[in-house]
Amino acid sequence: MVEITIRKRPRTEAVVTQHKFLKKTARGKVIKVLRERYLRDDVACGIQGCPVCDMPAEDVLPVAGDKEHPMFPNGHFILPDTNVFLSQMDLIESSLFTPPIILLQTVIEEVRHRSLPLYNRLKALTKMDDKRVWVFYNEYRSETAIVREEDETPNDRNDRGIRSATSWYSAHITLAHPPVRGRVSEKVPTIVLLTEDAANREKAERSGISAISVRNYVNKMKNATQLLDLLSATGTNELEPTRASSGGRAALYSDYLSTSTLLAGIKSGILHQGHFNANQYNYLEGSVSVAAFDKSVLLVGRENMNRAVDGDVVVVEIFDEKEWRASTNEVVDQDATLKNDDAEASGDDGEELDTNSLVDEESKLVRNGAKTVGTERQPTGRIVGIIKRNWRAYVCHIDSTSLSTATSTSLALQTVFATPVSRLLPRIRLRTRQAPILLGQKILVTIDRWDAHSRYPEGHFVRALGKAETKEAEQESLLLEFDVPYRPFGKAILDCLPKEGDQWVVPLKQDVSKEWRDREDLRELIICSIDPPNCQDIDDALHARQLPNGNIEAGVHIADVSHFVLPDNPMDSEAASRGTTVYLVDKRIDMLPSLLGTNLCSLRPFVERLAFSAIWEMTPTAEIVNVRFTKSVIASKAAFTYAEAQTRKDDPNLNDPLTQSIRLLNTLALKLKEKRMAAGALNLASPEVKIHLDSSESSEPIDVEQKELHETNSLVEEFMLLANISVARKIQDTFPQTAVLRRHLPPPKANFEKLQDILQKRKGMTLDVSSSGTLAASLDKCVDPAEPAFNTLVRIMATRCMLSAEYFCSGSVGRETFGHYGLASPIYTHFTSPIRRYADVLAHRQLAASIGYTPLHATLHSKSHVERILDVVNRRHRMAQMAGRASVEFYVGLALKGRGEREKKDGQGHVRESAFVIRTFRNGLGVFVSKLGIEGLVMFKRDTQFDPDNYTITVPGAGGDVHIAVFDKIVVDIEVEKDKNTQRGKINMTLVEPVDSRAL
Amino acid sequence: MASTSISKAEKSYIQAGFLSSPPLRADGRALHDFRSVALETGVAPLANGSARLSIGANAHDGGGGTEVLAATKLEVENVEEDGCDGGRIVCTVTCSPAAYPQLSSNALDDLQYDMTVILHQTLSHPSLHPNNLGILPKKKSWLLNLDIVVLADAGNIYDAIFMAARAALWDTKVPKTRSVEYKVRKGNSGGVVGGKTGSSGDMDVDEETTSGFDTRQIQQATDFELTDYWDEGEVLDGRERWPISITLNLPPPTHFLDATLPEESAVPLKALLVYSFPPSESPNVQAMRILGSGELTVVLLKDLVKEGEKYARELFIALNSKLKEEDIRRNQKARERFARR
Repeated sequence: MVEITIRKRPRTEAVVTQHKFLKKTARGKVIKVLRERYLRDDVACGIQGCPVCDMPAEDVLPVAGDKEHPMFPNGHFILPDTNVFLSQMDLIESSLFTPPIILLQTVIEEVRHRSLPLYNRLKALTKMDDKRVWVFYNEYRSETAIVREEDETPNDRNDRGIRSATSWYSAHITLAHPPVRGRVSEKVPTIVLLTEDAANREKAERSGISAISVRNYVNKMKNATQLLDLLSATGTNELEPTRASSGGRAALYSDYLSTSTLLAGIKSGILHQGHFNANQYNYLEGSVSVAAFDKSVLLVGRENMNRAVDGDVVVVEIFDEKEWRASTNEVVDQDATLKNDDAEASGDDGEELDTNSLVDEESKLVRNGAKTVGTERQPTGRIVGIIKRNWRAYVCHIDSTSLSTATSTSLALQTVFATPVSRLLPRIRLRTRQAPILLGQKILVTIDRWDAHSRYPEGHFVRALGKAETKEAEQESLLLEFDVPYRPFGKAILDCLPKEGDQWVVPLKQDVSKEWRDREDLRELIICSIDPPNCQDIDDALHARQLPNGNIEAGVHIADVSHFVLPDNPMDSEAASRGTTVYLVDKRIDMLPSLLGTNLCSLRPFVERLAFSAIWEMTPTAEIVNVRFTKSVIASKAAFTYAEAQTRKDDPNLNDPLTQSIRLLNTLALKLKEKRMAAGALNLASPEVKIHLDSSESSEPIDVEQKELHETNSLVEEFMLLANISVARKIQDTFPQTAVLRRHLPPPKANFEKLQDILQKRKGMTLDVSSSGTLAASLDKCVDPAEPAFNTLVRIMATRCMLSAEYFCSGSVGRETFGHYGLASPIYTHFTSPIRRYADVLAHRQLAASIGYTPLHATLHSKSHVERILDVVNRRHRMAQMAGRASVEFYVGLALKGRGEREKKDGQGHVRESAFVIRTFRNGLGVFVSKLGIEGLVMFKRDTQFDPDNYTITVPGAGGDVHIAVFDKIVVDIEVEKDKNTQRGKINMTLVEPVDSRAL
Repeated sequence: MASTSISKAEKSYIQAGFLSSPPLRADGRALHDFRSVALETGVAPLANGSARLSIGANAHDGGGGTEVLAATKLEVENVEEDGCDGGRIVCTVTCSPAAYPQLSSNALDDLQYDMTVILHQTLSHPSLHPNNLGILPKKKSWLLNLDIVVLADAGNIYDAIFMAARAALWDTKVPKTRSVEYKVRKGNSGGVVGGKTGSSGDMDVDEETTSGFDTRQIQQATDFELTDYWDEGEVLDGRERWPISITLNLPPPTHFLDATLPEESAVPLKALLVYSFPPSESPNVQAMRILGSGELTVVLLKDLVKEGEKYARELFIALNSKLKEEDIRRNQKARERFARR
């Protein structure tokens, strides 16, 4: 008989076998958590061929360790302490940092406890191919497990655990290299405890463990110069007793309150939490929008902004109402004001004379603002703490004036300023040995910390992107700046593609083929697609035909992406995390592998493709009789550009079915548009320009022109809107809790106040914003007969006052907020571009489930899951738009430069364009050049007479004073100049008419 | 109490035993002897304090005695809702039906209720209240739930309950908390450079006057945090004070301790005396109950209180030394054993 023994663990060993801790829940309860711990003797050491451990095949640590470090000629392994990962993750991640790493469980858990993002990076690190990292579960190996002593802090306990694991490894490794008789005994590699904590190092050395600080370790490495730059600033200070820390230097900022104090303050309503937004015109001003106030909270001056960086989640304290003030209406440029500040000086020696004068100047600027009267005051406050830093890597240029030696051979460690490309960010101070080499390059810099006594945040160099203004560097920096994932698709993702690759075709129509299951055969229909020129990812096609009963059948056919992208596989998750395809002027970053996007899913002409069709029966007046959705197989008969379709439609000689179909569609579209406009849809405008590229090779754009709109643009748009609305209704009916929809909330009235005021005062026009319909009507009336572009300008400005549209999950918000303000539709979704938008893929899946084609995947039944995905998609969508815009801006800049040079040759000297004034400042004008679609600033060197109530400034001209007001048409010279110090390209505008501003 | 029905003959036999000289008891004990008491603390790992106690359990198989399990659990309470400032203690006694198979469920409820009342009234008395059950004055406090389960009753259940209660309370650890508050810093709202220094003159008016007449003390603290999530916390304040009870069974004119079930049913009257022994003060009688149908004169009672104190002190000392031993066993020794392994 089998003998069964119950190995019950006696309670007397509870202190060893049980791990207890207390936890405070979100609702304020305190609970006790108990975990069982089982100790074992077979947790492997990870060293190759270790005779003691019964090793699995995947062991990663080389027998001899790493012999390249001169301090450890016998070879070594490093065993980093938690603080190494907390402060020096960039170093460890660098591909130049190669020693084999022993990663303790204690360390992993401590990192997780301290910082989740770092924990995720650490997890990724253990899976990296070029790293040799062994995770040792020291808390489960009986020799290295420890129990907390009485009165021992958690930190001390962990340190002790790390030390005990280190000494166990040292002892263990001698067993792995047993002395063999008659042979020279092998050299035993050293286990090196890498820690930034001096106390821990001391204790380690006392117990015979070799311990070293990161800086000392890296100093002796082969490629020390590159690696030292990656060291975070934290390493040089605080934990290192040998260096005097900040000492007596006066604190420039007040200290942050502790997180729990902040939360208590927020709970009691004294403090407010929100996102910090830096002001792009004035670096000494920022704002935080909080729930408690309608207007955002103004922060004036460095001290009140208290080291917040754009995007941080901060906590503000509101001043008494009598101290509230208005925004300054002044342009304060960081580079201009701070040009004399010395990186070394303010870093090491504290306040010097010139920094003092700088403080004076800044405070003068702040006071200037305080004098501003008249314009409305808003809540004013200061930042008392930070909930979450939103620091990432920033694309920067090195400021050449901050270099002490510019000799390119100098490898001296210098402190320099890096100026971020984004104007919303402060300069970053960093120490590097490569400064002369990095000059004129775009580099990536991470902020490490911002101390109370330091004017600037401190950061470290991550990597160089290449020479500024080269196509590659600019492109990559754009993608990084807007957080666009641009890595090529991995193998796991490509494995999800059909095995046939580009040989894949729709199989023959048979009962057995699964592609044809429940699919309608629409191959005979006269279907065509209309897209912009050079479009490769054709995701929609259309058809229309007369029905015998006098009605018209119209169909929209969308690429059936959900047939290829199945839920929850690697390709799907990658697409979900990319969220959208990003279009730059010269590059497209796909959401889906290009085999799908530009081939299998692209509804090219003359081939059979799978589609998802929405087919309406409409009366000739475009009333919908009914609509049905079906999966289908289509064969497009033609792919037109907008212009081609237009000429075909307008050519009276053509009368083939295809042309008739386009005409039919067009008449319907016109009626649809009419109805939409009657319902109150807005006709909005955004400055869109088109860049002509010489060829795909050269980065020199030829010229810029505004996009031309054809009637056929509107044709396609109307049918896409119709399809989206119909689909939205269908999926909302079927899945009221989780339908993926898109909405555009009506803008708060307060957003329009300023624009209304300007229009009233300057042009005597009124804007009725009570609903989208009245707004559309009053926008139509904002016409200046002398200036046709004026209406577009007002539309652009009105668009800026609105909120942005967003995806949402229908179960998460109230039914009454579903509406799309701009389109004046009660419900809306995105269905028509599944190749380039992930939300459309979700809508496809839900639609397929609602017509009973497939069951709905479980994840799409979960509200929280859908919400999470849509949050990502919304963010990516926003970022993609900004990246696209920034890319256009860059090319406009290049084009201007080219044009400027050409005109210089012709003797003119400058690019001269007419522009509208869109904003007035005390010392400048915000202008918009409609022909180029760019905004710019005209700065005056001294203050002008500024009337903020009437939006007018008065400048002295040749024949007496000249008034310039918002909406005035002026002429400016545009010049692209590079900042001499940072190489950051900048568009400079000078006023030519009515007065020449160079004198001002 | 939990009367096992015994015959008159048995009853009188047992009674005669008490009165004979020397007194005779069925198990050979002297009148003032206890059966062996076994105690273990920390038996419920998820409780804040716990103990298991048995009286007269069979040394071989651990069966046959009175057995009681006690555990304390701390809960955070809002003072405004149902808590009280400075915390409160709620005691509950539950009897396992297996302990009293002869009782109907209603009778069992009554019994539990009686026990609960005696325990709760005694332990929640203000003179015993620990000082560290408050978290935030007037905002949050700990509710200490002391739950006792009677697993088996072989006589002398009250003494067992009180001893177990004392052991569990002794073992109780209160998580260390730190109050979190946000104070508006007066006069220095961050110092807008220049903007404010000029107008500092009229700021003085706003300054808060500190006057002795102002008795309002507005508490800013709204929340608390745990200082050390690994540590179970500090011991309950005043744990030396927790009382123990001694049940005097009174077959007149004598009395005896630690009655077994048959003995209990043979004696008409018993006095339950609860003493607390604060470290440097004279002992207090925390509670007194006369249970049963007999009568007792005040003079006799006075003597009994004095006698009882003597027995209680012995029991108290024994219990204390065992509790300290348990503390050492569970922490220091366990760690040492772990280190030696």
